[in-house]
Amino acid sequence: MDWKAFFTGVEASWLSVWVRESESLLAFPAIIALHAIGMGLLVGANIAMDLRVLGFAPRIPLSVLDALFPVMAIGFSVNAVSGVLLLLAYPTKALTNPLFYAKLTLIALALVAARSIWKRMPGNQEAAQEPVPSKLKMLAGLSLGLWAAAVAAGRFLAYTYTYLSAYDL
Amino acid sequence: MDPVLEFLEAWLKDTYIHHLMNENRWAWPVSESLHFMGLSLLFGIVGLYDLRLIGFLKRLPMAALHRLIPWGVLGYGINLMSGLTFLSARPDQYIHNPSFQVKLLFMTGAGINVTVFYLMSYGLVKEMGSGMEAPVRARIAGAVSLACWTGVIVCGRLITFFRPPAFYWCFWC
Repeated sequence: MDWKAFFTGVEASWLSVWVRESESLLAFPAIIALHAIGMGLLVGANIAMDLRVLGFAPRIPLSVLDALFPVMAIGFSVNAVSGVLLLLAYPTKALTNPLFYAKLTLIALALVAARSIWKRMPGNQEAAQEPVPSKLKMLAGLSLGLWAAAVAAGRFLAYTYTYLSAYDL
Repeated sequence: MDPVLEFLEAWLKDTYIHHLMNENRWAWPVSESLHFMGLSLLFGIVGLYDLRLIGFLKRLPMAALHRLIPWGVLGYGINLMSGLTFLSARPDQYIHNPSFQVKLLFMTGAGINVTVFYLMSYGLVKEMGSGMEAPVRARIAGAVSLACWTGVIVCGRLITFFRPPAFYWCFWC
């Protein structure tokens, strides 16, 4: 596969050009702002679930933590859409950086961790006096670490790329 | 030249943090990573409480959810510290930056709102369990908080597009 031709083609598409080169604040600036807000919702709601599992705010019943899922889903959707737009704008910059794949892997693992935390949650309607299994607590700790690493990986992408556009290949 | 900026630059230029941020190539991204983790803590935790005040997520008991607020405050602390590292490194890029100034305005708005909330409305909601609806003034406090912190994030991300000298706001000059 001719990657240079592929990246050149993507970067020449109207959407890519608009996101990258438009003077409008609604283009690149709004998209990165949305990406930060979506992150706050997705990661923040996940942190809330992890903290509860770890034993903080113990009077929140474990069984109502699924109320946080819509917040996570909205954050994830906002970031999937804004993330794809950013990838369209700078495909060479992202896809030639190994850290980008690390970031996606960390997010995938964090989502798997969140899912398995919920699946293992003791179905307890009472104000959870029942101790949380230590395995579940370990998963919550792992989840916090994975999200922190994903966030850091995202920030470091801006400082670790080798090629900005297909032109540099 | 602006005396505020002059004073800041003279004061900061010999500080350890100013040198670290400008000379170590990883200092800036590390500080930014902390800033974004703090953002997630603050916006995530406080935002959930705001949503609950407004009337969403009613299955979550309000009083119990409030026990997570200190983690949001921790996020605020992390971001105050990491934010100061950016300011110390390049005061000229922030002091006159319109987006940074509006960001500070939103932070002030959030600060006034949270003070008014704890003085006037918190007493009405602090015992509330799940399913209960907050009174109007507490709901307004939640909406104002969510709007202010969203404004803070948006302005924070826009700082880089409003850099001096192309952009220059100085109401005290």
